[in-house]
Amino acid sequence: MNTSETPQNVHEQIVTLLPRLRRFARNLTRNPHDADDVVQIALERALTRLDQWHRDARLDSWMFKIVRNAWIDELRSRTRRDKIFLAAEAGDSVGTDSMARESDLMSVQSAMARLPEDQREAVSLVLVEGLPYREAAEVLDVPIGTLTSRLARGREALQALLGTEGETP
Amino acid sequence: MTISDETLMAYADGELDAAARAAVESAMRSDPQIEKRLIQHQALRRRVQTAYSAELSEAVPERLLMAARGVPSQPGGRNVVNLQEARAAMERSAPRAPSSRPRWQSVGALAASLMLGVAVGFFMWGRSPSPFVVGPGGALVARGPLAQALSNQLASEQSPSSSVRVEVSFLAKSGEYCRTFSLSADEASPSGLACRHGDEWQVQTFAGEPAAGGSSDYRTAGSGLPASILKSVEGQIAGEPLDQAGEKAARARGWKSIAP
Repeated sequence: MNTSETPQNVHEQIVTLLPRLRRFARNLTRNPHDADDVVQIALERALTRLDQWHRDARLDSWMFKIVRNAWIDELRSRTRRDKIFLAAEAGDSVGTDSMARESDLMSVQSAMARLPEDQREAVSLVLVEGLPYREAAEVLDVPIGTLTSRLARGREALQALLGTEGETP
Repeated sequence: MTISDETLMAYADGELDAAARAAVESAMRSDPQIEKRLIQHQALRRRVQTAYSAELSEAVPERLLMAARGVPSQPGGRNVVNLQEARAAMERSAPRAPSSRPRWQSVGALAASLMLGVAVGFFMWGRSPSPFVVGPGGALVARGPLAQALSNQLASEQSPSSSVRVEVSFLAKSGEYCRTFSLSADEASPSGLACRHGDEWQVQTFAGEPAAGGSSDYRTAGSGLPASILKSVEGQIAGEPLDQAGEKAARARGWKSIAP
């Protein structure tokens, strides 16, 4: 579908992805401020590497992967910094409160925030962002079998946290 | 016929090919339990999607729009994300905010005397006696309580009676042990980095004045250290900071450098 890409064109496509990139980053970081910082870092990286994006690849998957790598880098440097400063960053707690909405919807997000990271990533990419398994596995750099087992465990955990009320309005 | 949960999830996610879908549908017809499980997976999927749909209509911050379009922008007013940014921010702002009185100076051979001036000048404001003296080689050397704290105090066992806090100890790339210190427990107190050279603690970097006004951005979250000290640590550290056991071992050997 992307036959003639100009850089401006790609930039505008990335702009349209921004809401999803932010949402994915929030699921990764569980903190809206961290999420926006990570997205900004990812955008800066992506723009310097646009030549590495293959036009037959999905731009959203490619961007999700850059966002995730930016977060991994940030976590690494945080771990290092925390070791340097002994004092852990107080207040770096889960930021779900500020994302509170209706109580029912909130419960989905707070349940998500409780999942282990690998399950949260899998659920976030497949259920929230709607990526096919193959794309999600590619973003996470894992075999499809690993992705599907994380997804299955994540779903079971969500189901247990949210209750099995079958249908919701 | 049994159908695994993963297969049912894949069905709900639209990941099955026609043959596998047909197998699931035929199994469902003969076993209502399977259908019930599938409905649960589908419901969960919808519920998660619905819960996250509102985020798509939130306004995107301007700084992200600009970043996506490749428009360079200054980082927002938030705390600094990482050291690279802190450094970049310092470098960007340095020429714009010239100060007649440098906040800190690194000790290079050339800058030593200038830093000495800063340090001594600072203590002449009334915090005497100075914790530094000028060593034979022209280096700034810790003395008195500062030297004692650097030699004896563990970061994990700060003495409440000590006027000096020792924060981070590490092995530098040079093979010398280095430690950061603050001259009081106050976060904004003057602080520095000293390395054990021979029998002396040589002060490498000293931030003689608490960061003021706009430069508060450069104090990284979670640390009371000014970015200048942080930058020195980052530049010199080999590996990770010492933990308590590492500090004790280093103290036991008198902080003697590990010969390269």
